[in-house]
Amino acid sequence: MGGGGGGGGENEMYGSMEQGNEVDYSAPLRHQEMSHSVASTSAVQQRTGSAGGPESEPSGVIDDYEVVYVKDNVSVHPTQNALGRISGRLRLIKQGSSLFMTWIPYSHGGISRQGSNVVIKGGLRNRMGSRAAERDRNLYTIRAVSLSEMRSIRRQTPPFGWQYIIIVLTSGLAFPPLYFHNGGVKEFLGTIRNHALLVRSAEDANVYLVNDIQDPLQRSLTSLELTEQPAPSAPTSSQEAPWPVVLKQETPVAAESDGKQEQSLRQIFKQEQRSESGRRRDQARDLSMNVLEKFSLVTKFARETTAQIFGESRMFLDGLDMDRGPVPRPPPGPSTPPDVEVLGIAKEARPLLENKHMKEESSSALNSADEEVVDDNLNADDDAEEQAATNVGTFELVDGTQDDTPALVWGRARPPPLGTEEWRSFLDSEGRVMDPKALRKRIFHGGIEPEVRHVVWKFLLGYFRFDSTYAEREYLIAKKKEEYEILKAQWQTVSPEQAKRFAKYRERKHRVEKDVVRTDRTLPYYAGEGDDNANITVLRDILVTYSFYNFDLGYCQGMSDLLSPILYVVDSESEAFWCFAALMEHLAPNFHRDQNGMHSQLLALSKLVQLLDRPLHDYFKQVDCLNYFFCFRWILIQFKREFDFENVLKLWEVLWTNYLSEHFHLYMCVALLKRHRRRIMDEQMEFDTLLKFINELSGHINLESTLRDAEALCLHAGERGAACIPPGTPPSIPEEEAGGWSD
Amino acid sequence: MSARKRTLLKVIILGDSGVGKTSLMNQYVNKKFTAQYKATIGADFLTKEVQVEDRLVTMQIWDTAGQERFQSLGVAFYRGADCCVLVYDVNVMKSFDNLENWRAEFLIQASPQDPENFPFVVLGNKVDVDGGNSRVVSEKKAKQWCTAHGNIPYFETSAKEDYNVDAAFQCIAKNALKNETEEEIYLPDTIDVTQNRPTKSSACEC
Ligand SMILES: Nc1nc2c(ncn2[C@@H]2O[C@H](COP(=O)(O)OP(=O)(O)OP(=O)(O)O)[C@@H](O)[C@H]2O)c(=O)[nH]1
Ligand SMILES: [Mg+2]
Repeated sequence: MGGGGGGGGENEMYGSMEQGNEVDYSAPLRHQEMSHSVASTSAVQQRTGSAGGPESEPSGVIDDYEVVYVKDNVSVHPTQNALGRISGRLRLIKQGSSLFMTWIPYSHGGISRQGSNVVIKGGLRNRMGSRAAERDRNLYTIRAVSLSEMRSIRRQTPPFGWQYIIIVLTSGLAFPPLYFHNGGVKEFLGTIRNHALLVRSAEDANVYLVNDIQDPLQRSLTSLELTEQPAPSAPTSSQEAPWPVVLKQETPVAAESDGKQEQSLRQIFKQEQRSESGRRRDQARDLSMNVLEKFSLVTKFARETTAQIFGESRMFLDGLDMDRGPVPRPPPGPSTPPDVEVLGIAKEARPLLENKHMKEESSSALNSADEEVVDDNLNADDDAEEQAATNVGTFELVDGTQDDTPALVWGRARPPPLGTEEWRSFLDSEGRVMDPKALRKRIFHGGIEPEVRHVVWKFLLGYFRFDSTYAEREYLIAKKKEEYEILKAQWQTVSPEQAKRFAKYRERKHRVEKDVVRTDRTLPYYAGEGDDNANITVLRDILVTYSFYNFDLGYCQGMSDLLSPILYVVDSESEAFWCFAALMEHLAPNFHRDQNGMHSQLLALSKLVQLLDRPLHDYFKQVDCLNYFFCFRWILIQFKREFDFENVLKLWEVLWTNYLSEHFHLYMCVALLKRHRRRIMDEQMEFDTLLKFINELSGHINLESTLRDAEALCLHAGERGAACIPPGTPPSIPEEEAGGWSD
Repeated sequence: MSARKRTLLKVIILGDSGVGKTSLMNQYVNKKFTAQYKATIGADFLTKEVQVEDRLVTMQIWDTAGQERFQSLGVAFYRGADCCVLVYDVNVMKSFDNLENWRAEFLIQASPQDPENFPFVVLGNKVDVDGGNSRVVSEKKAKQWCTAHGNIPYFETSAKEDYNVDAAFQCIAKNALKNETEEEIYLPDTIDVTQNRPTKSSACEC
């Protein structure tokens, strides 16, 4: 394995910066000077509320409030897009004996301090559109959360990027990760330790339990159970119990920049069933849009974190963490199926995991039920939908606009595929694709109707340029056909006499011939025995021609699998050839003699799993499977052998949009591994059993939900994910060669 | 389903692409042949319980892709092999010529403790094709090669016609057992040993 060796980067905790002089946070409460705090504690005037953003708000003592910690450039990363980051100021505020935390985003762009001056960088976020940006800021604002509401703080030091913390509340809810762009996590924890008991979790050294007096496990479980009361009436089976949103009237912070009535939003982790007290509190909530906009957010981290604290062993909790909470629940009963409103994965994964043979029927049936639910809740509000698009997968979004029908959105049900009409709407009068990015986004989410697939694929693959006109394309087709015929003639004119002296030619032709007759013969398009099907002959001709066109690469097993769907869709020999050649520009390294392309993808996969599922990574390491060879087939031919033909087409067009990531297929791998992680680890699969298990998943994978999982993972991983993938890893190709791929 | 102590024999099938490795394995384990097997990508294996003399063993038969450029994966798959089966197509000279390379490659990548005496078995497959009229490698030539490489047992087979397949694998099991490693393994009892035909040990030239 090239470079860093299988898996690479095994160092446990990388951050020497903080661990170098480790503070013993597990020590009993000590009274210290506030030397850890970076806050200026000098008293400053109280703000009057209307002018300026919080960035102009000086830190300091306000009445009997005291700002004991302040850190600028602490950010939330709602998407992997750097432009979408929301920077803000994190503060710890002391009132009497209580400590509160707030995180208020800046009104405009980023902020940096130069000496004591505050410089606002405008324009950074302009591209996002100010309305969306504003909404994002509102959405993520943490007005004031009392330390007594915190259960734990997870500190994470990723190998690349910034340190971040995840605050988990006693209710089980977690705030999105707060990234410390200017450092300061240690001081943050130090300040808290000065005001509360902070105990490092015995299970996970990155987790600090807040105010944990007794046995941490015991106490946390107890506190959770308190919030879990039996529902007075069971929610209807297809509906999520509403998310209680409670306004806290007493507020420790002065009015914020928006000048609106200070509202502290306490978000309570959604319960399986709404408690009576929760219902009463619900009624007390302010129904103004201002409040309703503050959708409750729960991050998957919440469950990840709590799961790790409790050593949770429930099936999906630690999978994609789409379960809803760490509280052990009674087994699902028929009247109140507790998982109905959870994401597709949970519903599918359960029968999948329980059924050794993994019947697809059951999962797809459940899946469609799921999609109905999501649909119901989704189309209500375009804004919410747009919001969900940004947050998809990373956060569950709960819309409190209607009392009893909150929308739980985890990746949306995929919209219908792009049809003829809509496709035309993407073209200008001369046939240019006006907004390739929007088109790719559209296809990424919904795919393409079969009747336009043959056209659109040519763009996605780079055979057609997005900015070409109808006329240009017609010319291209004719020109390329000629070119193809010339290439094809190169080998077709080899006489038998010449062939005798041309071992390479004979060998290649033989290789191709024995593979095409073994390619997709169950499909009517290629059906038959031997070479008695004209389309099999076309496959052969294209592949032999390609091995002359790209003589250095030649023919390699797997290529016939990649060509077959293309020929089927494009249904023209020369155009299929050029589409295939364009695809091979990206995938040729998969077939290089030294297998460098495969090795770099397997290595990247290993890093992604390390990032997105550390326990699974550790497991693979333990059983010496970090080479990820068991995923070889998935990657070599883009899951061609794992789905039925129809679904291969659906998957490939998504992959080829290049929309969220050029390496979306690797997130597919992670999604699949995560889905089966429980079984893999419980059954202690090793190299051979793991390979067998993976091979036998073929034909039993639900495409839609895997796509959604992968999307969620990709968004969640963001730049940290991208950083796992070395430059040049297939299907990436250098910019200048990108051709039709660039906008 | 029981967890008993069994002997696990790991067998690797190697040979050029298209010589019939997957077909032979499926014929032996599943007793079926179809012309529609896909080219093998990556690797896979099947297991079968076999009785060798008075012992019950589980054979784990590994089938890998035949194209040589995938051989860098070999290390992972060859490790711990007890026997290596080299297959060629009696109708394709090149596949016979390549036996030398396959053997050498295996010894390098698997690096068995005692390479001199590591058990190989050679199969000349597809003897059924064209009633034998298209064959280009004679039995004599193949046997010579086997003798020259330390008396490797040799079988002529047809995965399609199920000719000599059982006998060949019986010999493979026997040879692998010489190289056995005792292991605690837990496998579902998917294959009933009573299905196995009586051993045709006479066919085994070892
Ligand atoms: N007539 C005949 N055809 C066979 C026999 N064995 C295999 N075949 C055919 O030969 C072709 C290749 O067989 P496979 O078993 O797939 O070959 P392989 O060695 O596994 O090939 P790779 O997976 O590419 O390495 C298939 O079309 C089989 O149907 C045989 O004994 N007789
Ligand atoms: Mg095969």
